Amino acid sequence: MEQIKLHNSDLTCWNCPAIDLAGKVDFRACGQSTTELAKLSDDSETYIMAECHRRPELGLFDPMGITFEECPEWRRTPYGYMLKDMRVMILGIDGYLGWTLALWLGKLGCNVNGVDNFSRRDWLKERGAHTVVPISRMTERLSTAKEILDININFRQLDILDDRERLKEFIDEVKPEAVVHYGECPSAPYSMIDVEHAIGVQKNNVLGTLGVLFSMRNIVPETSLIKLGTMGEYGTPLTGRPLFEGMFPADAVLKWDNREWSLGGELTPRDPVSFYHVSKVQDTYNIVEACKYWWLRSYDVMQGVIYGVYTDQVSADPRLRTRLDIDEWFGTVINRFVAQAVIGLPLTLYGAGEQIRGFIALEDAMQCMARLIASPPEPGQYAVVNQMSGYYSLREVAETVAKIGRSEFNLPVKIQRLENPRVESERHPFEPIYENLPKRYGFKPRVTLEQEIYRMLELLTQPEIKKRMEEKRHHIVPKTWWSGEKRLVETIEILESGSQSTMEEEKSATYRR
Amino acid sequence: MRLTDANFDEEVLHSKIPVLVDFWASWCIPSQMMKPIIDNLSKEYEGKVKVGKINVDQNPKTRNRYNINGCPTVIVFNRGKEVIRKIGAQSDDQLRMLLDSIDG
Repeated sequence: MEQIKLHNSDLTCWNCPAIDLAGKVDFRACGQSTTELAKLSDDSETYIMAECHRRPELGLFDPMGITFEECPEWRRTPYGYMLKDMRVMILGIDGYLGWTLALWLGKLGCNVNGVDNFSRRDWLKERGAHTVVPISRMTERLSTAKEILDININFRQLDILDDRERLKEFIDEVKPEAVVHYGECPSAPYSMIDVEHAIGVQKNNVLGTLGVLFSMRNIVPETSLIKLGTMGEYGTPLTGRPLFEGMFPADAVLKWDNREWSLGGELTPRDPVSFYHVSKVQDTYNIVEACKYWWLRSYDVMQGVIYGVYTDQVSADPRLRTRLDIDEWFGTVINRFVAQAVIGLPLTLYGAGEQIRGFIALEDAMQCMARLIASPPEPGQYAVVNQMSGYYSLREVAETVAKIGRSEFNLPVKIQRLENPRVESERHPFEPIYENLPKRYGFKPRVTLEQEIYRMLELLTQPEIKKRMEEKRHHIVPKTWWSGEKRLVETIEILESGSQSTMEEEKSATYRR
Repeated sequence: MRLTDANFDEEVLHSKIPVLVDFWASWCIPSQMMKPIIDNLSKEYEGKVKVGKINVDQNPKTRNRYNINGCPTVIVFNRGKEVIRKIGAQSDDQLRMLLDSIDG
């Protein structure tokens, strides 16, 4: 019986990280002369051939000759063909996403390796906050992963910026076939606290990543780098032009002076909204250049606002849970709303509350990452995916949390509007394009907003977690102003359920399409 | 259609119908963005114009023979001769105008 094609069935050794490219590989930019090279390269030895680490008996061969479907080293998984025991290294493996992905990939049969310097734990401690879902120490996490899920994780404690030599040694030892880079500080408000925090975030993120790029060039240039960016890199342009996936498609044209050019492949303008977001934009450019100069391969994952607590693996045992932050610095909006609903604080919208964002549930984000790991980019390819499963205004999200909290958990949920401590558009058009993951990588969202909010409420209403939220309730309402001011934001109004005005409804309908 | 140094003469220069060749590179973002358009046109113009893609890094002979210094470069060949050359990303409309202008 013929098997159903998977999204990466037809990729070839050209995309495979187990391949060394032999023959003459010359790194050139477009417009750079090849005349000198022409004299040297007109013989067969200059042809790019493949040499496989896993199947050395094949010798030198055409890199486009064997497909993933045909190669015995690639096996079928629910997320596409995947290399047998694929060696993956997760930078930031102790974090919310890193830990969840480690277990997800372990269950898929990957050989999981990871590094962390525990800075996320330190940042929370520094702010006087804590993860409301208690998490174990790394040693216990590792032994529990082995005991409950039979997953071996090879962990090294190190800082990707300060311990660069040790990171290089670890990369050399593991020879990862994919590197997932979650090792950055993921907070806009944290970067806006003061000059020390802004510098700290940009240094950690931008320079840490720059070092990773050099290490990969030197040791594993054929390995794909799957790097976490954010939809926040794009901002929310008021013209309403679509937020393309990183680059303009070839059909986008620039018209000027009665002439017309294709914008195809040019990076779209970025409009970051905090010094943290600026660090992500800077990463984007550094990675683009590394791919161009050295043929590194990278997916830049522009992730929507993440939320949720559930995957089969992290929910398998309390000691395997991933962290969940709800404080003003590290609590993403839905996670914060659910916490507020449980401990009886009104859900906090900033300003008009009509800001629209793309969202993705934890479990769906993990599915996307597995699919990207399974489909490495081509040599030198820098590609972008907008990783989100839908978009909503923050007010809609708050209403949804309130509705489920009231009807299913009997919680008296209120919603309030606060002064907006951020400098951002509060009413804006929003047309994100997020077609690559479903069209090219077979991604189908499995979790609805309502379903994940329900799961979160189930977990967060447990007495131990509720107690941990109560202890830190004073850290939820922001004190960090983009202006530099330090004061608690004030309430503008408490909203009655369903109080959105007709005009606002019309407006968001136009924006939502 | 995947063109190579080995099949270029037969498929392009000896072709009975005009051929549009997309010289591309995996590291070139504009090349990558043009891919879906090229693939689509290759189906649509089947029988009228042959549309092929050649990777410039894997096929240095052809790259040097046509002195390709930038990607994407699109060249139209008719009866074995280069008749049109466009450098840089082209939109769907631009490529269609080019294809429709070929006097087969």
